[in-house]
Amino acid sequence: MKTEITHNGNQIIASFEGRLDTAAAVQTAEDVKPLLEAANKEIILECEKMEYISSSGLRIFLSIRKEAAAHGSKVIVRHINNDIRQVFMMTGFISLFVIE
Amino acid sequence: MDLHSEMILAEYEAQLPVYKRLEGIVQRTLEDALARNGLLVTAVGTRIKTLDSLAGKLALKGGKYQSLTDITDILGARIITFYTDDVDRIAAMAEQLFEIDWLNSVDKRKLHQIDSFGYNSLHYICRLPKSIVDDPECPVLNTIRFELQLRTTLQHAWASINHDIGYKTGVEIPRDYIRRINRLAGILEMADDEFSRIRTEITDYRRRVQALVQKGKLDDVQLDGDTFNSFLQARPFDNLNKRIASINQAEIQEVPLTHYLKVFIALDCKTLGDVQRLIKRYEEDAYRLARHQLGATDLDIISSAVGVQNICIVCVLSTGGGKLGLKRLFEHINGHNSENEAIAELTFELAKNLQYGTDKD
Repeated sequence: MKTEITHNGNQIIASFEGRLDTAAAVQTAEDVKPLLEAANKEIILECEKMEYISSSGLRIFLSIRKEAAAHGSKVIVRHINNDIRQVFMMTGFISLFVIE
Repeated sequence: MDLHSEMILAEYEAQLPVYKRLEGIVQRTLEDALARNGLLVTAVGTRIKTLDSLAGKLALKGGKYQSLTDITDILGARIITFYTDDVDRIAAMAEQLFEIDWLNSVDKRKLHQIDSFGYNSLHYICRLPKSIVDDPECPVLNTIRFELQLRTTLQHAWASINHDIGYKTGVEIPRDYIRRINRLAGILEMADDEFSRIRTEITDYRRRVQALVQKGKLDDVQLDGDTFNSFLQARPFDNLNKRIASINQAEIQEVPLTHYLKVFIALDCKTLGDVQRLIKRYEEDAYRLARHQLGATDLDIISSAVGVQNICIVCVLSTGGGKLGLKRLFEHINGHNSENEAIAELTFELAKNLQYGTDKD
């Protein structure tokens, strides 16, 4: 699982590649810390190359959203595949994020 | 400027650091007390009179003051409220907080004749008691008086505009204009009273709705934002969510559900009774849908929206709404979004193998 953080003006973008499963979650939680520290910016979670998300991955997304909401900012989840869409749908989190 | 006024101005400059310290304490004390008492206001502000402003005041009525401490508005604090009754509530709060110099305080709201209208504001002249500040090196913090003005937003608007019109031009205004300005004060007084009445009536309405919800008389309660919130406080989806969570021993994350009001209205619910019946009718199918979807996964976290979301999905599908109905449903839930079509398509595929519409009535 690879996570890359980039900045674009008032946006901070985390691009994920691979499977965000339980094994990868600890490292990914560490990798996304810059997002939590810059939660006043609009946060983009770019998932075009993400293959899978587990409960642990969902928890990371939720913690990012919680931090952003505390700063009045929003989180946009981009380019999810059908498997990840299904996870958001089944768990009832689909309306919690802006999904594009 | 006479020598006496110049002495007061010199005293002002010497005491300015003390006034600045006093200003900070007063501002914090007021903000903390408002928060503690749950009083929402438009603004809380303080200001220290400028040297120029003080010089102007002394030029007009300098002989009235023996020393700087005789001038009670060097430090001024002002609280602007939403409602007239809040002025009295905050006045009571100020009486508890500060020592009030009653002789010099004035309730300008009560100064008008029954047939006259104009400036409405409550002015308290206050001192800080030792319970708020007790500094042996600066005892004047307990003796300096400051002015606290309390007024509503509309009273403040009138006072500000009246001040602007009356003082900016520097010329005396014809009687007709003064009459028109004062006439507006009367209209704003009526508006202030009406806002207070509306707030009281809305509070009563909410209490009545909560009582009806608690008594289960849901058919008597029209569905709207207020009533739906009261309904949600009774946590009508908890049982279903817990059943769904038990599929994978999942934890439930609380999320807001208020946006489902639009969905229930779109599903033709007119009263909370209609919502309750819809839940009852579809909750078993909603559980079956969740079991069908989650049972084959190890997902151990769900949102508190999953129950109501699935109820709405099975309602749409069992009433023949199909993919288009699901897309409309997600537009109500998520707003217009290009993703809604993909979500509707996916949901339809996930749910199509289940049989819906088995009437539980």
